[in-house]
Amino acid sequence: MTTTPTSATTPSTTTAKSLVLRDLHKNYVARGRESFHAVKGIDLDIRPGELVALLGPSGCGKTTTLRMIAGLETVTSGDIRIGDRSIADLPPGRRDIGVGFESYALYPPLNVRENLAYGLKARGAKDADARVRAMAERLEMTELLDLRPAALSSGQKQRVALARALIRNPPVLLLDEPLSHLDAAQRQRVRRELKVLQREFGYTTIVITHDQLEALSLADRLAVMDAGVIQQFGTADEIFDDPANLFVADFVGEPKINLLEGVVDEDGTVRVGRDGRLRSAARSIRPGQAVTVGLRPQDSHLAADGEPSVPAEVVVFEDLLEFGLGTVRVEGLDSSLVVQTPADVRWRRGDVVRLSAPPQRVHLFDPATGARVR
Amino acid sequence: MAKELKPGQRRVTAGSVVADLMIVAWFVFSLFPLLWMLLLALKNDADQTSTYFAFSPTFDNFVTVLSQRGQDLTSVDFGQAMWTSVLNCVGAVLVSLVVGVPAAYAAGRWKYRGSENLMFQMLSFRFAPELMVIVPLFVIYNTLGIFDTKVGMVWVLQLVTMPLVVWILRSYFQDLSPELEQAALLDGYTRIRAFLTVALPLVRPGIAASALLAFIFAWNNYVFPLILTDSAATTVTVAVTKFLGGGGQAYYNLTAAAALLGALPPLVLALTIQRYLVRGLSFGAVKA
Repeated sequence: MTTTPTSATTPSTTTAKSLVLRDLHKNYVARGRESFHAVKGIDLDIRPGELVALLGPSGCGKTTTLRMIAGLETVTSGDIRIGDRSIADLPPGRRDIGVGFESYALYPPLNVRENLAYGLKARGAKDADARVRAMAERLEMTELLDLRPAALSSGQKQRVALARALIRNPPVLLLDEPLSHLDAAQRQRVRRELKVLQREFGYTTIVITHDQLEALSLADRLAVMDAGVIQQFGTADEIFDDPANLFVADFVGEPKINLLEGVVDEDGTVRVGRDGRLRSAARSIRPGQAVTVGLRPQDSHLAADGEPSVPAEVVVFEDLLEFGLGTVRVEGLDSSLVVQTPADVRWRRGDVVRLSAPPQRVHLFDPATGARVR
Repeated sequence: MAKELKPGQRRVTAGSVVADLMIVAWFVFSLFPLLWMLLLALKNDADQTSTYFAFSPTFDNFVTVLSQRGQDLTSVDFGQAMWTSVLNCVGAVLVSLVVGVPAAYAAGRWKYRGSENLMFQMLSFRFAPELMVIVPLFVIYNTLGIFDTKVGMVWVLQLVTMPLVVWILRSYFQDLSPELEQAALLDGYTRIRAFLTVALPLVRPGIAASALLAFIFAWNNYVFPLILTDSAATTVTVAVTKFLGGGGQAYYNLTAAAALLGALPPLVLALTIQRYLVRGLSFGAVKA
């Protein structure tokens, strides 16, 4: 951790604390209507100072989870601990959590200075002015202090919202879709800023996002969530290279993973389409078993002689300078495949290519449950 | 050939001419009674039933309405009635705000079983005919001893103003991001302080609009004061009609003058808050 200059006016770096979720449930019960189980038993161990991204499609329960941690939503069952303190039953104001809201939630009638001091005043902090100044200097926004939120750009609003979340020096920071209201150029810049700041301050942080690029670039570890359950928790590489199930494989990765119906053959290869064959590193397969084959566009290459391969006909080829994207059709398959090619390769419509992939990159899933077949 | 239009210029078509004519016709139609009343108010007793427009205008009627003679004719002090109306309406609006603002906040923020029914129930006070409840109210007021009192009037006018305040302000609160108050909660404020210090200041325009609108509605109410007051708490709407008879003669000119005087306060208010009124009247359906 970086050492920071500590004087009376500089907010000193907090001793980062771990954040632990244990079997966390949220069940919305309404009489006369079907109850809605939004979060179905989440376990998450976040190390002190770690930045974890909660990634998932909208409606997967990630925001509900964040709101439960912040105390804005009651916990149906389970526990939330910061360090060794259970906070599940505390009101939001006593949880010591900073939240950056998606809408920023800056108080419109107050200027930036008053917005930052607002939370300190609630706690009767005497050095509020000094702390506001120190925080403003640290986030390089001194010139914004006397402006009202309406006069700020969305990038500046984001920064003020972050400053407000940080100024109480909470050991845990929650950010809800922090970059969603920014344009593409700002997004990249703020993303880097956020990462630098988080490192520097050392907060234990959860970032909620539906954007995988944001999650991959920001987070130390990712928790991919769907249908109220964490599908996989791990580093970006783990999730990309070794997806736990069909949902994770399908959700993470750009361009999207190709999913093909296949059947395991007598010789242990997977038959795909009419004449295609792929070898997988999965060992628990038996001949005749139906599988869904997951093959990332980045992982396929042209087959060497004698290697099991999938013959395909090029339908479209897009040259994107750094790499090319070929859309190919395989005899006997309903959907087409997308294949990424090196920069110097050019395919033409109608070309027939023989595709293959390293066995450990050919992921197999159970078509019925979506579970990984290893 | 279509001619080039200057900025701000409109293409004149047969349709637009007809539309404009219809608007003018509607305008004349709706404003004519007002014009008639104005003319009537300026006529003397001899001219009041004539229909020709050439007469010597006089302001005597306005003076008479407010003078002892007016009081002798109607047994009501018109100036006093104006003042009573002001007190009644201000009282009703204050009660509606004190109770209605928190109610609107609760209704805007939380969905609970029957919350929509409750809101609809409240709205139904607005379109249920007052005559439906007036007889029981008359009996109740006499029994409670609040017949012909200002307290009684505030109580009943509040029935008119409260739904208005709640419905208008609920839409204002709904437009407010709940994250604002949630941020305050995280900052360590209590629910009540978050409401008072964050939400309330932001709906101030809505409070102003609904209060003034409620005032106008209360001012215009006729049936409640007609039945539930006698003389001590008589309002301006009732006092106006007293010039129409009682002493055996109908003073149309005095009635018109009194009605114009009585219409003045709501008119002034309506003009000052015109900007907010549109949204208020549409119950906030149009986002400001």
